[in-house]
Amino acid sequence: MKKILTFIFLSLFATTMQAHATINAQKAETFIKNVTQQGIEELINSNVSEAEKKARFTKLFNQDLDLDFIGKFVLGRYWRTATPQQRTDFIDVYRKLNIQTWSERFNEFKGKHFEFLGTETSKSPDQLFVNTQVPMEEGAPASVKWRVKETNGSLRIVDIIIENVSLAQTARSEYTSYIQKSPQGINGLINDLRKKLK
Amino acid sequence: MTYAYILLSSERDEMKKNLIISAVIALVAFGYPQSGTAADNDDTALETYNRAMFNFNSVADYYVIKPVAKGYRAITTEFIRERVHNFFSNLKEPASIINHTLQGNLADTGNSTGRFLVNSTLGLLGTFDVASGWGLKNNKTDFDETLAKWCVPDGPFIVLPLLGPSTPRATTGMVADGFANPTYWADYYATFNKDWQKYSFYYGLTALGFVSVREEKIEFLDNLTENSVDPYSTIKSAYIQNRLKLNVCADKNNPSNEASYDFDFDDEE
Repeated sequence: MKKILTFIFLSLFATTMQAHATINAQKAETFIKNVTQQGIEELINSNVSEAEKKARFTKLFNQDLDLDFIGKFVLGRYWRTATPQQRTDFIDVYRKLNIQTWSERFNEFKGKHFEFLGTETSKSPDQLFVNTQVPMEEGAPASVKWRVKETNGSLRIVDIIIENVSLAQTARSEYTSYIQKSPQGINGLINDLRKKLK
Repeated sequence: MTYAYILLSSERDEMKKNLIISAVIALVAFGYPQSGTAADNDDTALETYNRAMFNFNSVADYYVIKPVAKGYRAITTEFIRERVHNFFSNLKEPASIINHTLQGNLADTGNSTGRFLVNSTLGLLGTFDVASGWGLKNNKTDFDETLAKWCVPDGPFIVLPLLGPSTPRATTGMVADGFANPTYWADYYATFNKDWQKYSFYYGLTALGFVSVREEKIEFLDNLTENSVDPYSTIKSAYIQNRLKLNVCADKNNPSNEASYDFDFDDEE
């Protein structure tokens, strides 16, 4: 009896362990292929108005990027001390600012294409990196890695690493350093980020 | 980095002085505790200096450098700017030849040598990259990368006057590569014994190279400063992370030589 129980327990444990690690590499790569295809072919290279482009970009961004998750990370240790109101306000302005920044910067990828180089495991559970590169006119191709996280069966991007520079880590450095110096703390940050919105 | 390279390499008459300065920087820095992968790690004294220098550079950029870069864009066409860009890119080929050799990549040494010979002649002083069409692809390296492969640590983040973000290893590499710049030696011999026009050619070129690089970065830096609440921290963090890809050797901060971007990324709660 005891043996059977142990066996059941162990096999349960084994399946949960496996469930933890089963972010499917193939699925993740297909997911990123779709994102880059939508982002480049149907957005940058298309002949629609700027307003329509912005609308499509916003949709793509909200759908495929887990900004609630990234937002928590970029506030670092200050997330824990933030009030629920501050958290909501921060995520909201962070989302808007990112859409603004990236809808401008995404044009840099105009006429470019992504080459897929397989995946790389992550030490964080349910996450992996999809490795891509973008051939440049001059010199070596630019490396772009997509950190993908699986939550309840659906895939979202949680970080983009361009030439070894993680966007999440860079934002975290910027915001935590700002809060450290700001007399108004997180509220000061939220107010200043709001001023950046056009 | 590129314009840093061009500017620092201009101090031709002060060759010895430069070598001494970089040696001092190297000594100070390589004995300095490494900040490791924590891009938000601060050292107060250095940080105070860095921020002050960053502000100074920003003011100089706002009032002088960026307006000149915009003027350059206004009076040139994209075709001309590309020729200028290629010209300066070709001047870095000899440094690549030396450093590929120092890194033991002899095939790359051959590639860079071929590129330099072809582009300097058929490519009209490097303004056209003919060699790429012949299968000799652009594949540059520098002394900074050589030092990285020799496991020389990078040292802390430092902001140089006018030249911007750097590290002691990057600065050392830049100064050393400056001596492999052909225009440095061309001017050295051309203006030998002609005191009145000494360095005029080299300084003129240096200034043009500086403006050319700044022009290419106008949109990127505008976007960055417009959307960041602390551009210094943003640039510092991105610069350090980007340089970590050069560090192929494991060190005490990163014994297993893990990828810097695979940090713990779980819910903070």
